Amino acid sequence: MVDITLTVNGAIRTGSAEARKTLADYLRDDLELTGTHVGCEHGVCGACTVIVDGLPVRSCLMLAVQAAGSEVTTIEGLAPDGGLGPLQQAMWDSHSFQCGFCTPGFVMQATALLSHHPDADEQQIREALSGNICRCTGYQSIIDGVLLAARRLRQPAGQGE
Amino acid sequence: MAIVAERYTGASIRRSEDPRILTGAGRYVDDVKLPGMLHAAFVRSPLAHAQVRSIDVSAARDLPGVVAVFTGAEIEDMTVPGPDPLVAFFGDTGPTPEFTLLATDKVRLVGDPVAIVVAESRYLAEDGCDLVEVEYDELAPVASAAAALDPASPPLFANLGSNIAREHPRAEFGDVAAAFAQADRVFDFHIDVHRHQNVPMEGRGCVASYDPQTAVMTFYAATQGVHVTKMGIVMRLGIEPDKVHVLAGDIGGSFGLKIGVSREELAAAAASRAVARPVKWTEDRGENLTASGQAREESFDVRAAVSNDGDLLGLDVRMVVDTGSYPSMGAMLAGIVQAMLPGPYKLAAMGFEATAVTTNKAPYVAYRGPWASETFVRERVLDLIAHELGLDPVEIRRRNIAPRTEPPAVMVTGRPLVGVTTMESLERVAELADFPAFRRRQAAARIEGRHLGIGVATFIEAAPGPRSQDGPSDPEGMEAMRLRLDGDGVVVLFTGQMPHGQSHQTTLAQIAADEFGVPFDQVRVVVGDSDLVPFGLTGGSRFATMTGGVALHGTRQLKAKVLDFASHLMEVSAQDLQITDGNIWVRGDPESAIAVTEIARQAASGDFGPGVDANLEVEAAYDGGAGGWSGGTHCAIVEVDVETGLVSVERYIVTEDCGALINPAVVEGQIRGGVAQGIGAVLLERSAYDEFGNFQSATFMDYLMPTACDIPRIEIEHLETVPLDADVNFRGVGEGGMIVAPPTIVNAIEDALSPFGVRIYEQHLPPARILELISMARRAS
Ligand code: FES
Ligand code: FES
Repeated sequence: MVDITLTVNGAIRTGSAEARKTLADYLRDDLELTGTHVGCEHGVCGACTVIVDGLPVRSCLMLAVQAAGSEVTTIEGLAPDGGLGPLQQAMWDSHSFQCGFCTPGFVMQATALLSHHPDADEQQIREALSGNICRCTGYQSIIDGVLLAARRLRQPAGQGE
Repeated sequence: MAIVAERYTGASIRRSEDPRILTGAGRYVDDVKLPGMLHAAFVRSPLAHAQVRSIDVSAARDLPGVVAVFTGAEIEDMTVPGPDPLVAFFGDTGPTPEFTLLATDKVRLVGDPVAIVVAESRYLAEDGCDLVEVEYDELAPVASAAAALDPASPPLFANLGSNIAREHPRAEFGDVAAAFAQADRVFDFHIDVHRHQNVPMEGRGCVASYDPQTAVMTFYAATQGVHVTKMGIVMRLGIEPDKVHVLAGDIGGSFGLKIGVSREELAAAAASRAVARPVKWTEDRGENLTASGQAREESFDVRAAVSNDGDLLGLDVRMVVDTGSYPSMGAMLAGIVQAMLPGPYKLAAMGFEATAVTTNKAPYVAYRGPWASETFVRERVLDLIAHELGLDPVEIRRRNIAPRTEPPAVMVTGRPLVGVTTMESLERVAELADFPAFRRRQAAARIEGRHLGIGVATFIEAAPGPRSQDGPSDPEGMEAMRLRLDGDGVVVLFTGQMPHGQSHQTTLAQIAADEFGVPFDQVRVVVGDSDLVPFGLTGGSRFATMTGGVALHGTRQLKAKVLDFASHLMEVSAQDLQITDGNIWVRGDPESAIAVTEIARQAASGDFGPGVDANLEVEAAYDGGAGGWSGGTHCAIVEVDVETGLVSVERYIVTEDCGALINPAVVEGQIRGGVAQGIGAVLLERSAYDEFGNFQSATFMDYLMPTACDIPRIEIEHLETVPLDADVNFRGVGEGGMIVAPPTIVNAIEDALSPFGVRIYEQHLPPARILELISMARRAS
């Protein structure tokens, strides 16, 4: 077991993990942050995406010990007190998801995209999200949610849609 | 976040499921964590077909952290032998193969479970699996339907005596001989549909928690119906029904995979009982792709009788379905394929027979429109005939679709096409796609060396199907619901439906809020608890009519009861009372309004003496009313790069009739999701085996899933429906997209490749295959 300290959703979390434990399993089992989902465990589906030091990372491919000292944001940390952040709100308004299993990965990946490219157009959004698999929706509603969030974020509050 | 609308039904109300899903607060089965919980992993066969000579679990048992290891034989001793619970549920009769929950003497597919290891963590359970030594004597693999049909092939199941799982004897509808005698042309086609699979983003899984004190098995499931899961546990673990409690939370998709309870889940439950601790099993992606189940893989010999004008006079079809190992639903498939094969067409004569075989591959499971190959075959055959006769794909369908008449045309296999608007959907899609303009663009593109193609296909879906003389519209029977006005004034619906993405908690609340007269937020929909909900399951696109209907009629029943109670309190006749916006008031007297919450509080608070029924709860059942079909026509425009074989879908148009819409955004989500799966099936996905039965697509690097770059925007137009029922005209829409997208895409690809004379008799068209088809056609010409 290795002692590790990391910042998760703004709080400092100290614990210990077996060297082989993935960050996804550490978040889910040890920190009980089950919002992060595991869809393939081999880095393809994107369901486990979290933000580590500002960049989207597949937490099934990163070991917990590798995240020591880092700042990790999971879907639970996007909006305070169970509310919805602007991207989540836009996704609700757009009926983005169905079963919700892919959702944390898309939300985190799109959060990272919009923070770096607030002007992303549809094609750029599709490409940025093409490493995330959704089996339910055919993607259009997810893309529409991200486009709506981008539009709202660009517009000062109170100026309509 | 209150949601208010004049009328909820028919509006794209935002989903009540979303706030939890979007914040990571959803509760999926792998999120369940119980005190003392152990983790299971399975030792699985690396061989497709072998005799198990010996199994040594001692090293695994000695590993620190491993709590127990059970071999197949030990699990057999701890459980009750019997048929596949799902087969029993569907009331199937006929020879069924005999097998145990885990393999004992024989393994029948790569991934067949032979032992279960239970440990303090999943990591340790997998370590334990690595230490289990199994010796196998290899048997000749039966890796294809052709091999299975060979009487010399070694039978997978001794009690079947061969690898024929089921024969569906020849049936004739109409005068088949006369249709062929009178035909100008007779065509023969062999058409294949490849093996592909559900792949929900959440695999299977469970937490089984047996309490030796109370002898109660609490089972947290990812299932399409808690009672179906419960039935399997009762049967195979030999526990009385009142001692089994099945719970389900959010479910990460299924598409038919999670209808029943799997062999692995039952083994995990047996293990929990044996060690008297909770046991969690979470299927990983490798297990899911290899062993959870796969679908399709049917081949068809089709003979078509046709007039020179393009009238399809008769079909004669022989189907072989490769049901893989451990056949259950696959053996029952032929009946529904036969029933649906005529589709919305005038076809007057049809012969059909089928054989289901067992092979050393993953078992056949239901996948969104399990019978879909009938649509693929029919819509492919129509285009092939159109090519031969020089007809346009819209024209040949126009000639053959049964127009809406009174009385309605009847499918040659027996069911009336009541309210079916296929012709209207075809005409509308042709208009939206603008065929003449497309043909001009196609011709111009060809001059530049670009290959565009257009394809159409139609379908109907019995969701639930037309009213029959002798029972409920839906083949699975009546739908039940319990409804109650809780003491806090919330209208609570208890349904046996088990949504896994279909938004049932939203759509049922829409219907009930309108019918009762309360705001959307004042309705709660309870699912996923076998102690609370009536029998039911989500599947077969039965929700919209059956559950939507029982919600509507049940709410009406509950409302009558509430008004009756209120009439005593308010001392007016119930007939004079109405409910709007959560208030009960005397018609014409707004001053009299009392909140529903207040009436509910009073009902919960006391005894009103004889004659006053303050128990504001009802049980409702619904038979589907007039029922009806859903259906429509899809159209795709594709471009094929003849250098690389890559296909891109430029435009995809849906014209659709699923009756009255409860929530358009939900309906459209179902359609788009199905279409995406259909596009994936044609262009990407294949559950591949080599000639020895080795599985070749056990990761997402090998089993390719469509991504946001593969699926275009999907345009949807809903047609004005033909109301059949006084109250309930919602029809199911879950399966249609997946049923009709494959022929739509393949038809478009064939059209794009028509300059090469390519003819397509299969469904899976990855780039390499497209290039092969082009070069084969070039060589032939
Ligand atoms: S679970 Fe990490 S990419 Fe799929
Ligand atoms: S919503 Fe189900 S996988 Fe995306």
